[in-house]
Amino acid sequence: MLSQFDYVKPLVLDEALDVLSRDTDTYILAGGTDLLIMLRHELINARHILDIKAIPELKVFSYVEGKGLEIGANVVVNKLIESEVVRDNYKALHDAASCLASYQLRNRATLVGNICNASPGADLPPALLIYNATVKIASKDGVRTVPLKEFFTGVKKTQLTKHELVVSVFLPEPGQDDDSCYLRQTRLKGHDLSTVGVACRIDKNGKACIGINAVAITPLRLTALEDELNAKGITEESILWAADEIKNHIRPISDVRSSKEYRLHMAGVLFKRCMMQLMDKEA
Amino acid sequence: MTNIDDKDMCAMEAAHINSKNRQVLLTCRVNGQVVVEEIDPTMLLLHFLRDRLKLFGAKEACGEGECGACTVILNGEAVTSCLILAIEAQGSEITTVEGLSKNGELSILQQQFVFEDALQCGFCTPGMLMSARALLDRNPDPTDEEIMEGMAGNLCRCTGYQQIFNAVKCAARLEREELNRS
Ligand code: FES
Ligand code: FES
Repeated sequence: MLSQFDYVKPLVLDEALDVLSRDTDTYILAGGTDLLIMLRHELINARHILDIKAIPELKVFSYVEGKGLEIGANVVVNKLIESEVVRDNYKALHDAASCLASYQLRNRATLVGNICNASPGADLPPALLIYNATVKIASKDGVRTVPLKEFFTGVKKTQLTKHELVVSVFLPEPGQDDDSCYLRQTRLKGHDLSTVGVACRIDKNGKACIGINAVAITPLRLTALEDELNAKGITEESILWAADEIKNHIRPISDVRSSKEYRLHMAGVLFKRCMMQLMDKEA
Repeated sequence: MTNIDDKDMCAMEAAHINSKNRQVLLTCRVNGQVVVEEIDPTMLLLHFLRDRLKLFGAKEACGEGECGACTVILNGEAVTSCLILAIEAQGSEITTVEGLSKNGELSILQQQFVFEDALQCGFCTPGMLMSARALLDRNPDPTDEEIMEGMAGNLCRCTGYQQIFNAVKCAARLEREELNRS
């Protein structure tokens, strides 16, 4: 390891924010499943490691009926999979969490880490985007909340500054008669990152929401397509139309996982499968 | 290895660590034994176990969480020790493959790996055993799918997995029978 860092593990949030306000070469450690790889490959040179696992505020995992679900920065992915609240209310998130990496990694990897790492192909963001997730960010100067949609700014880039920390992600209550799912395509069955992943939701008013990853520099919510689709009304016909139209709303590239053409094609296929699955359940 | 009692251990987990002098004191329990060691904060848990404690069961293969050869049980959960800093294990309980046998006798799970020919070169075996152990601890009666899911983070280049799957399945049954007898 190239980095020669020291290690700080505060017990209170304020101290963590203090540490972050002092230096810019501090890296936040929660599950470490991305950070340790970056350290190992010498992609970053960390001088200070801030372990946030002992901070009580960041362990929050609480669902308030009528309000929604708050998921703290220390909540690991396996906890989401085991949660009945997630399975019953945010099905796409349950699906997405279940296909993330391996059991061992999910014991460490956190949801907040997954969004902070901001990989365009990360599995959890599409499922969070369709539920209008918001991100609670804290720094010495106070707390701010931003929609997840605006949180991502580029490949591995977010609007988080070096002095800030994500406290939690909040998912508003979806209410009754709301359903969603997440499907992804990978090169091999197992622990690959997705080639394309699509999350769809039909809310209580019968409106569709669409989230997608690995087809642009950030995970996307396809609001323009949603509007057109919802204006048409959700029918088999309009779903087929949107499955074809989706290619005009995404800008995938070719890389080791897939060609651009295959991504464009699979986005439509996965979208159609998701929507059909949701329609079937309704019928 | 020093002995300190349980209360001290708990106090330490909560302890605030701030290591400006590049050495930190790590206290944890490994296979039932309390360990207190001064380490560099950059040291990985895997390297701590192998290089410092000379527990060579956990293996380093990919070094990035993909293969499971370095799997150990940390506070009851299977984790890849190549992606964890040793100091993160402060105050915790770690079980490695060396902690599975009792009084020189292989555990039921280990015996089943032998009976079912679930290993050839053996490189993946300690990791396999720890994933299987954690699985059976949280779920003594797993379905076939649950076994596959629980073991999916461990790669094997030799056996083709079927024997490993069989060993875990048999061990689950034998462990349940043993529990009913006692
Ligand atoms: S060496 Fe840790 S997962 Fe491969
Ligand atoms: S027995 Fe050789 S890798 Fe599994």
